[in-house]
Parts: sequence; structure tokens; C-alpha cells
Amino acid sequence: MPQLPDAHDHGHDHPHAEISQTGRPSYYEIMETAVRELLIEKRLIGPEEIRRQIEVLDSRTPALGAKVVARAWVDPEFRARLLADGRGACEELGISFYDDTGLIVLENTDKVHNLIVCTLCSCYPRPVLGLPPDWYKLKPYRARAVSEPRAVLAEFGTIIPDDVEIRVSDSTAMVRFLVLPKRPEGTEDFSEEQLADLVTRDAMIGVAPVSIETGRTSR
Amino acid sequence: MQGGANRSESLGAGIVLAAGEAPVFGPGDRVRILTRSPVGHYRVPTYLRGKTGVVEAAIEPAGVDNEEEAYGRNAGMKRHYYRIAVPMTEIWPDYAGSHRDGLHIEIFETWLERI
Amino acid sequence: MNGSEQLLKRLPNDIGGLDAGPVERVDHELEPWEKRCHALADVLDFHKIINTEEKRRGVEALGAEMIGRLSYYERWIAAFANILFQKGILTPGDLARKMDEVEARYAADEAATTTEALHR
Repeated sequence: MPQLPDAHDHGHDHPHAEISQTGRPSYYEIMETAVRELLIEKRLIGPEEIRRQIEVLDSRTPALGAKVVARAWVDPEFRARLLADGRGACEELGISFYDDTGLIVLENTDKVHNLIVCTLCSCYPRPVLGLPPDWYKLKPYRARAVSEPRAVLAEFGTIIPDDVEIRVSDSTAMVRFLVLPKRPEGTEDFSEEQLADLVTRDAMIGVAPVSIETGRTSR
Repeated sequence: MQGGANRSESLGAGIVLAAGEAPVFGPGDRVRILTRSPVGHYRVPTYLRGKTGVVEAAIEPAGVDNEEEAYGRNAGMKRHYYRIAVPMTEIWPDYAGSHRDGLHIEIFETWLERI
Repeated sequence: MNGSEQLLKRLPNDIGGLDAGPVERVDHELEPWEKRCHALADVLDFHKIINTEEKRRGVEALGAEMIGRLSYYERWIAAFANILFQKGILTPGDLARKMDEVEARYAADEAATTTEALHR
């Protein structure tokens, strides 16, 4: 595999350390504030729009995706609708999509294990999962998920047998993906809420299965 | 937005589709991702150029070319994106995983040719 | 012939399949300004002042060195500034003046807070 001069292992930690130590805004924070204020002064955006959009972003967390998964596990007709039209089925549950992206839900089965990635940037099903973790946006995952998915999964402690197809979906356009993990054994008597509590963000990215032991508190 | 069936089956008599309205490719079609090297913004990763795969679905509705959109050209003729399935062994000569493993990606119509 | 054409043919973000180290499970809680920056991106896209694809292209256009040294949201705000200049929505002078004003405001707030603390 070709090697380019490595400009992608960003030392992104240091700006945050500087801010918390001095309390002084960084050059970029000043730029962000300035751009925002200028756009508002020019009436290109409204004064409350940023604040409102922050609230929208804060309202989107993996709990929403978990709710979708749990519903699909208990309701076969919802599951069928979800697999046919991911965005529409989420909207049925009140999860609005604030942008133009579509959603395809990828079902894990005994034969197929799905994994999602965006090699070119950081496309991620934000309306239903919230913002992606840093590792999803950094080089090691983006570079290797498409060329050695089994090794990457192993780093997450996930081993998929050779007779199961690993299907990697690389987002490049308007469609986003959500993995519908397999329902774990021993959960037959679980309520929908109890099921949702088991579903982690990592399971909906496809790097981990859902197990009866892990819950959303131990992502 | 979802994978669509061939919409021309339900057309009324005398209906003529606009250019780009009907998907050019359908599920099961074998296609090659072109080996172009555009200068400037692109959304087809290098690792897939020249690879062959099978169309899983046409994504509906048709959309603007995202490579044009990146330069602020939001309008213009819409065409379809297609979800393409490419075996890992087709992409990586020394792929270490299972021969069953595959990659799926959305590709704009103008980047594909039928084979 | 120094192979520099590879820099044009393969964009700095086009990293699928390249060699890389192990995935380190890093994450961080967004700084308030980073969250504001993300919200700004969404709002700019809603208005089609800068759509999401333009943002992606704008980040790529920063070039490999800046991409390597700026953090994720730093790249976004730098790209937004460039695109807004290109579109004639802001001038570099506008932005520079406003940034000075914002910086002075922070300094004044800091001084006021310090003074207040001293007088307690």
C-alpha cells in the first residue's frame, strides 16, 4: 500500500491544553467569534441561529440510535420499514433530520457484519447518533477500516469469524449509515427500554457487538 | 432517500423522462469506477479508481454532482448516485481477511461505466 | 520531475488504504467555540452561504501542512474565512479588524475580572 508523507497525525490535543491553562481564547476561537459576529451584522445569519443549532446538536446522542435499534428488535414491521427507508423510520420515532442527508440502516446478521467509515472526511449519521468520536475522524481508522477491517475490529476486541462477510460502507455523498446490530442472546424478556440501554454508539458504528453485559454507561 | 427500483416500470403512456430522470444503472449491473485523475476536489477515493463492482441500488432521488457543488454550483443537471459493492479482493491484491469481505460506496453516475 | 504531481492527484484527505498505526480510542469533549463552529457550519449550510461540500473542498484546499497542524475545527474556521473572502462576503480587512476588536474585548473582560478579584 502506498505511503504519503504523513501530515495526518494531528497534534490536536495541544490547543485544548493551552485554552484550559490560560483561559485565553485561541487565535481560532477569536476567528470563529469574529466570523459569526460579522455574518450576523451583515444579516446573513440571524443572531439566535447558532445558539439554536447548538441546542439541536446537544439533543442528538447515541440514545436516539439505541431507541431505533431497540424498536427494530421488538417490532418486525418497524424493522422492515427501517431497512427500506432509514430516514423515514427514524422520523416516525420523532427523530428529525435537520439536513439533506439520507440514512441507510445496515443489518448485521449471521452472515454479514457491517462497519461504517468515511475515508475522505468524517461523514457520520449525526442526526441520529450525535457527533462522532475523535478516533473515527483520525487517520488510523479512516485509512485502515477499508483495507484491513478485521485487524481494526480486533483492536476493538471484536473478532468476526471468517465465514461471516465484513461489509465496510465508506460514506462519500448524501447517504449516511447506521448499523443495526444483532440482538444478543438472553434478552428475550427485556423491555424495549432495557434493550436500548444495551446498545452502544460503537455497536452502531459496527466496531463492537451488543452484548448483554455492556450498556451505554460503559461505552 | 432509499435504494430505488426501476421507476420506468410505472410510467404512463406517452410520458417522456427528462435526461437524468431515470437511473442509467440498475441493481445487478456490473460497472467499473473510472480511472480519472481530476485536478481539484473529488469524492471518489483513489483506492477505488479502476475497480469493478456490482450495483446494489440506485439512490433516489437524483442529486447534484457533489464535485460541482463543492465549487458552489448547486444547480445543474441531477443524476443518480449508486451504491456499488466491490469485493475487498478486487481492491487489495494482498487482502488478508475473508474472500467474502466487501466494500460498499456511493458513486455518482458520471464516474461509472457499464461493463 | 520530482513526483510532486502526486500532491495534486491525491488530495491530502484521500487516505483510504494508506498505512497507519493502531486505532487509539481518543475522544474529547468539544470546547464551546468548537461546538459554535460546528453549529456555524450547519447554519451556513442551511442558508447555502457555504454548503457542506464547499466546506470539505475548502478544508482540502488548505493543503497538507495546514491540515496536519490545525485541529479539526481550526481547519473548518480557516476554510470558512477563505471561502467567505472568495465569495466577497467578507474582506480580509473586515475579519482582521473584527478579530482585533474581539481580542481587545476578551482582554478588557479579563482585566475587569482581575480587578474585581483584587477588590474582594
